Order: sequence, then structure tokens, then C-alpha cells
Amino acid sequence: MEPDDDLQLHKLLREWEAPNAPPSLEGRVLGRRTSWWRFLLTGQIRVPVPVGLAAVAALIAMGVVVARERVRGAARPPVPEPARAIFNLKDFRPVQNARVRVIRSGYASE
Amino acid sequence: MTDPEFRTAFHGHKDVLYRFAYRMTGSEAAAEDVVRDCFLALWRNSAAYHPDRGTLRAFLLGVARKLLLKRWRRERPHDALEDDSSLCPPADLEGRERAEQVARAVQMLPPLQREAVILAEFEDMHLDEIARATGADIAAVKSRLHRARQNLRRCLAPLLEEKGTTHGT
Repeated sequence: MEPDDDLQLHKLLREWEAPNAPPSLEGRVLGRRTSWWRFLLTGQIRVPVPVGLAAVAALIAMGVVVARERVRGAARPPVPEPARAIFNLKDFRPVQNARVRVIRSGYASE
Repeated sequence: MTDPEFRTAFHGHKDVLYRFAYRMTGSEAAAEDVVRDCFLALWRNSAAYHPDRGTLRAFLLGVARKLLLKRWRRERPHDALEDDSSLCPPADLEGRERAEQVARAVQMLPPLQREAVILAEFEDMHLDEIARATGADIAAVKSRLHRARQNLRRCLAPLLEEKGTTHGT
């Protein structure tokens, strides 16, 4: 009784046909086995929409900040360099009468 | 595993894996993702397959099964793998095609019964190969198959009666 039932059930189940693998699968499997350096050049990654939007917003904000800094830098007057003291020997006068005084240790003498 | 070996494995087993994943999930996109992940797992760690422990087909079906059960647990964290409580009522003959009724009945089975019946009835796999693929012993596979067939007979009773009447079997 049961083998007949099984056969009948088997025939009925076989009426549900499943498709074979689509051709696109080949590219998704055989194309993905790449080395890391090739992945760096040609690879793709899926990014969740919120993360992508946050990354774009951060880039825009950074761009705005950099642009503002540049504009501020261009509008600011140039800072004068600190004045440097200029020395020369133009007014140098040598000592006319040099009197050398030798001081010995312990007491003074001329 | 060399590139030609991998290509041979891919072309030799992609369809059976895809059909299995499709019948388990009912979704072409999910089946494609599972089969892709399954082959990429083989490529990255081909040493995990030991020819002395069974066929490559059973090994790959085992990997696909793990991915499918993981996905199933993520979608239904509170459902049990062997729970019979969610079985479908007897098929309604009006408004649906027979194949659609069969698909619905199979997909209503608990996952462990579903995988056993898909591999046995649709892929004509022997009990020992199903046991290897599902990581269960043969007695457990027999028991799951028995319960799955009982459930399917109950779900598809109107179609079986109709068929019996029509064909006189």
C-alpha cells in the first residue's frame, strides 16, 4: 500500500519543476575568485545606503571646510615680517688711550 | 584546488545546488546568493573537502544547507527546525496550479524534513548521501522522510485523490 502511495506522491511532487542555475551565476562565481591586488583595481563592494550617504555628507563637509580656509587665507592681509636690527661698523671708534689694569689675586695693584 | 578543477566542480554541481536552494527558499535571488557563497567557500577552503568522506556533491550540498539554515534562523529566530505545527492545510484545488500547490506544500514543511524530501524526491539521492549532506545518521534521515511524506500526503490529499480518480490508480 505504502510503496504505491509513495510512487503517486513522487509523481505529484515531480510536477513542481525548479529552474537550473541562471547564466549570470557563472560570472558571479568564476569572476569573484580574484587576487587581492586585482580586487583593489577592479573589485566592487556593496555599501548600505545610510553608510554611503554619511560618507558623501562627510566628504562634502570636508570640502566646504577646506574651501573656506582657502578663501580666508586669500582675504587676510600679508603679515609684515618682524623688523631686524641692522648692525655695521660705521660708527666704530677704537679706544685712544688704553690703560691696562692687572688685578692679582688676593690684593689690587696698578 | 586548481582553477580547472574548480571550474569542473562548478559546472558539474551548480544546477543541483541551485535547484536545492531554490526549493528550500522559494526565491531565485536567495538561491543564487547561496550557490555563489557555497562555491566561494569551496574556493577559499578546498582543503575542507575530503574525497574519502563522500562525494563532492554531498559536501557542497552540506555547505549550501548550512548557509540556508543560517539564513532561515536569521529570518525566523523563534521557529524550531523540526516543528510540525506550521503545516499547511489541505490544498485548495481552485485558483492555483498543481505545481504551485506542490511548491507551497513542500515549503511549508519544517526545514529538516524539507531538505530530506527535496534531496530524495527531486534529486534522487540515496539515504547515505543525504545523511552525509545533512550531517545526520541514516535513521534520522529515514524518520524525517517518513514524516515529510506523511505531511505532504495530508497537505496534498485533494490532488492525490484527484489524480487517483483521474488515472484510476
